Formats: sequence, structure tokens, C-alpha cells
Amino acid sequence: MPTVAVDVMGGEHGPDAVVHGVAAVSLQSDIDCLLVGDEARIQKILDSTAYNPERIAILHAAEAIDASEEPRSAVRYKRKASLFVALREVAAGRCAAVVSAGNAAAAIGASLRELTLLPGVRTAAMASVYPRAAEHAGQDPLALALDVGATVRCTADELVHFAVMGSTYARVISRVAEPRVALLNMGRDPLQGDAVLSAAHRRLRDRRGLNFVGNIEGHELTSGRADVVVCEGLLGNIVLKLLESVATMAVDLTAAAAPRSWRLRAGMAIMATGSDGLRALADYSSYGGAPLLGFEQVFIKAHGRSQAPAIGNAVKVAAKAARDGLIPALKAALADD
Amino acid sequence: MTEPAPRLVYRWDLDKTYLLSELDSLRGLVKIPFERPEDKVAAPGVAALIRGLRESALSRGGDVRIYFLSASPPQIGRAIRRKLELDGIVHDGIVFKDQLQRLFRGKFRHLREQVGYKLTELLKARQAEPVTAREYLFGDDWESDPLIYSLYADVVAGRLLPAALEELLRAGRVDPPLITEAGALAEACARAADRPRTEPVARIFINLERPTPPAALRAFGARLVPTFNYLQTAACLFEEEALSAAAAVAVARSLVEESGYRAGQIANSLADIVRRDHLGEAAAAVLRLAFGRAGLLPTAPPRWRDRLVRRWRRTPPGAAEAPVLPDYRSMIGTPEVEAPGSTQHD
Repeated sequence: MPTVAVDVMGGEHGPDAVVHGVAAVSLQSDIDCLLVGDEARIQKILDSTAYNPERIAILHAAEAIDASEEPRSAVRYKRKASLFVALREVAAGRCAAVVSAGNAAAAIGASLRELTLLPGVRTAAMASVYPRAAEHAGQDPLALALDVGATVRCTADELVHFAVMGSTYARVISRVAEPRVALLNMGRDPLQGDAVLSAAHRRLRDRRGLNFVGNIEGHELTSGRADVVVCEGLLGNIVLKLLESVATMAVDLTAAAAPRSWRLRAGMAIMATGSDGLRALADYSSYGGAPLLGFEQVFIKAHGRSQAPAIGNAVKVAAKAARDGLIPALKAALADD
Repeated sequence: MTEPAPRLVYRWDLDKTYLLSELDSLRGLVKIPFERPEDKVAAPGVAALIRGLRESALSRGGDVRIYFLSASPPQIGRAIRRKLELDGIVHDGIVFKDQLQRLFRGKFRHLREQVGYKLTELLKARQAEPVTAREYLFGDDWESDPLIYSLYADVVAGRLLPAALEELLRAGRVDPPLITEAGALAEACARAADRPRTEPVARIFINLERPTPPAALRAFGARLVPTFNYLQTAACLFEEEALSAAAAVAVARSLVEESGYRAGQIANSLADIVRRDHLGEAAAAVLRLAFGRAGLLPTAPPRWRDRLVRRWRRTPPGAAEAPVLPDYRSMIGTPEVEAPGSTQHD
């Protein structure tokens, strides 16, 4: 089983959540992990939990990049940070994949410095998974959106690369035989949007080996119509954060709107299970993370608010991506250009 | 004239320490008496370690004893002895818990009672050893081995007085006759204690089979070493000079060849026990070299910077610290235990 390098110091819940997540994985699977961060602190956390030391190695990193740090400055000056050290382990081939829940912008910047872009790829794409309604039994309850922040604006070529990479990821990791790929736009008409979107639509439609289902509008995102949604980073990031806030917003608005009547309070209590379910469904801190695609190395970015189970899932996804040959599959798919 | 080396005594628990017994299910418990010797499975590396301990002592012309103490009934003794024979283990005695006899006497509590039984058996066994004998105890984290072994170590060292022991056992609801017996045995040990010269129990190794978080056993002090596998135990015993480097290599080799361990797991296990301060970096370096020569470690050299950081941060391993009496009161829940020196004894 390949070794997964884990940036321990990233994430809002700090080393505790990351180390506990990896400790759980060490007991449940045969995945080897390299924990990168403050060695003494990592060992102290490990001591307080059940773990399998045979599956865990530690590599000391003298610095850490904080979630609130200015990314450009961090990438420029903090080369000894756990994120950089973990990336270098992967770049050198000592580890097969890297997982980080840290500062997303710094993760992208550091990856561009330390990792190698796939042949033909000009820019990487940050993917994210989000919950959606399943149209049929067995359909993955999560869809993949990319790019959600590695770029601001992109070219039609880049959007096509994102589509190919997203589709390959869904096929290899989510085991979707023919992932349905859609382009996020303001209408279904192929000519809607700007010149970039029109050109991207045309190229995606003509692309062999891609199950392109056309444009998708914002209100269709949570339907089961598309498995992979392609968009520019600026738009993707805004959409993703809006989606993240929907469940909390719905619950909060309902609570605020309820008059002080015992009947309505009783009604809300009955609805509580449903609203908790809604909140759980949209709880991004429990998802396993999503890939930063476009590099010759596997990088799984866990959500900044990831708790231990989400980190554990991210590590499993990273190991699966390495084991199941995501990178060779991406290279093959991109070579069809 | 130089004094002869003290006798080395190794006391092993059986289930979950030597054998991978299935004690966590009724099915597993029922199965144990009917298992054939060849069906019983030893923990990875344990047989190689015990063989190595005897060979290492004998090669230096030392005096060594290996005993097993089990809470299993004597009815499975034949299968256990045969299993040990199959594993090439030469031992000096096995004590079983006579559960049926206790049942016939109507002492149902004894079936569950571990602390009183094991402690009295250990204290009885100590009477047969020279006062200078140096002991290593091996147990697991399933029942009360850490507590029993620590109590025993402090009694034979004269740190825990018989009256205090009896009080603790009463608080722990140990069967009264066993308390009386343990008190009398502790009295005899206290009279024979060779306190000024040696620490009778050098180390207690607890096999983290469940696995319990190591920090949960910190209250027992640095004398108690929680280990995740027998490579870690072997490494500590190598540092104690109880095990030769060749024997430690044999343990690692048995893990690789018989239990499917990979070189990375060997390296990680060694690094973990160093980080937990139970093994010094100097001993670890010697072992890494020996394992590397035997092809049991990854071929790539360790990252030099990481190695330097570890060496720089290293504190002396815990065994060098003088043992202090663990806070048994809070462990067992008794209001008061007299500190050594507060009560006179002969």
C-alpha cells in the first residue's frame, strides 16, 4: 500500500483532528502514513489515542502555515512549513500522495512550486464534492465541481482539461462508468455566456470519450443531472460557498421566523430530525476531501473545518487514488487531445 | 572476586501476551479449551524473543528462568505445554488458575478475580528466587496486568508496605483470604528485600493488544513500558543488555518471515518506541545498523535532518529514572495508602 504524506499542521481543528484521523486509519486499514509537522506535538497526540505505530512515520517540520495567513507571503517565505515538506516528500517519490486540510490558496501556490504539471496541462484545478439528489439507485450522492478556486478566469482549453480530469477522477475514484459532465452557465443554450463558455461548450461537445450533457444552470446543481460540473475558479468558489451555507441558512431562518407559539415550537421540535439531517448532509467538515487536479502527483485537499473522520476519509481517498492509478489514467485521458 | 551476575527472571502472561487468544467474545472463550496446540497462535515475534532471552543469558554464562503465569485452567495445560514445545520455548514452569477446584468450593468470585490470584502467585514465586534476582514482567492491556505487576514490583522493592498493600486490595474488593495471603507473602518479601542494591523488577512490558493509548498507562511510571509489538519489547531488552543484537535481529526476522511484516513497519516500530522515550537513540542506532545489515530495514537511508532533530531532542530513556510509587489510591479508589517509611516493619 502506498504511503500518504499528511500535512498535520493544516486545518482549523489543528493537529488534533488530523492526528486522530490518521490514528483511526492506522487501525482500520493497511495504509501507511507519513505525518509531517511538529514531531513532539504529534507524538503527544498519538500517545493519547489508540493507533498502530507500524503504519505511521513522523517527519518533523519546523514551520506551519496558518489558515488565516496571507498565502503569497506564506508560500514565499515558509519553505520549511509542514505543507511544503509534505509536498517535497511526494515530489521526490517517497510518498504516493499528499493530504492537507490547510490554507487552500497556500496549498495551490505551494503545489505549483513543488509539484509537476501533467503534460499539456497549463493550470491546476481545485475540485470539491457537494451533495446532490440521486436520480437512480446506486448513484453517487456526491457530485464533483471544478475549478473552485485554483484559477480566477480561464480559457476554453483549460475548461476542457478540467472536464477531462474531473471525468477521469469520477471514473477512477467514484467508479462512475460514464460520468456525465456539464458546463456551469447561465442557460442551456450553447451560445449563452461569453466567448470562452461558448467555445468551451463547442469543444466539450466534440470531445471524444467525454459524456458531455451540455450546460447546467445554478438551480440544477443539486439534481442528479451531472456527475462533474466544470466552471471557472471565481464562479466555482462562489457557488461552492453558497451551497455550503444553504443548510445552515435554512435552519437559522426557520428558527428566526418561528413566532413564540407553543404549537410552532412543537412543530419545529418534530422537524428537528429533518433539519439535523439537512445540516449533516451539508456538513462539509465530514466529507473526505477533493483533489487538486493537474499535477503528476496526487493531492487531496480536505476541507479546512475537517474533523478526524473527514481526515481519515481524505487519507483513504488519497491512497485509493494512488493505488488505482489516477495519475496514469489522467495522463492517458489528456493524451487524447 | 567479582559477584556473579544476578539471576534473570522473565515472567510471562499467556493469553493476549504470548497467545493471540480470543477473549473478547463468548465464542472465543468457549473455543480455547478445545483448541489443539497447533491451532493456538502465538503473538508475532514473541517466541523468537523468549528463545533469544534465554540464549542471550546462557551465552554470557548467566543464570536465567522463564516462567508463565496464566489465568487459564490447568485442564488446557497439556495443549499449552505442547504449543510452547512446538515454538521451541524452554521454560521453567507454568502456573494455571485452578478454576474448577474453586468452582467446586463455591468460590465463584475467584473465577473473575485476577488481581488477588496473580499477585499472590507472583509473591509466592518470588520466595523461590534469590533476593538478588532481577525480573522482567510481560503482560497485556486486557485485564489488570499493569496494576498487578506494578503492585508486585513495589512490594518486592520494599516501597509498598504489606499493610498498605492489604488496604489497596480491600479497596479493590479482592477476596479476603487472598488479601490475608498476599499480606503475609508481602511481609516475607519485605524481610528479604534487597533494597539498597538492586531494583528487583527492572521493567514491566505491557503488550498493547486492544490497543490502549500509551498515555493511559503513564500513571504506572517509567518502569512500565507499553509496547505495540515484540520488536519494540526486544529493542528495549537489547538496551537493557538482556537481549543480544543477534537475538533482536531474529525477532525482526521472525516478524518479516513469519508474520508478513514489511521493512517499513520495522522502521516505524523502532522510531515509535524511540519517540516515546522508552528506547535511547544510541541503542536504536545500533539496532538500525544490525537490521539494515540483515536486510530488514528499507534500503533508503533515514532522512539525515530528521535523524539529527531526533538526536538533539532526545532525553534519556525512562528506565534510567528511579521508580516512584504510582498513585495506587486514585487507581483503585481507596482513601489512603501509607507512604513508605511512615510505618515500621521488620
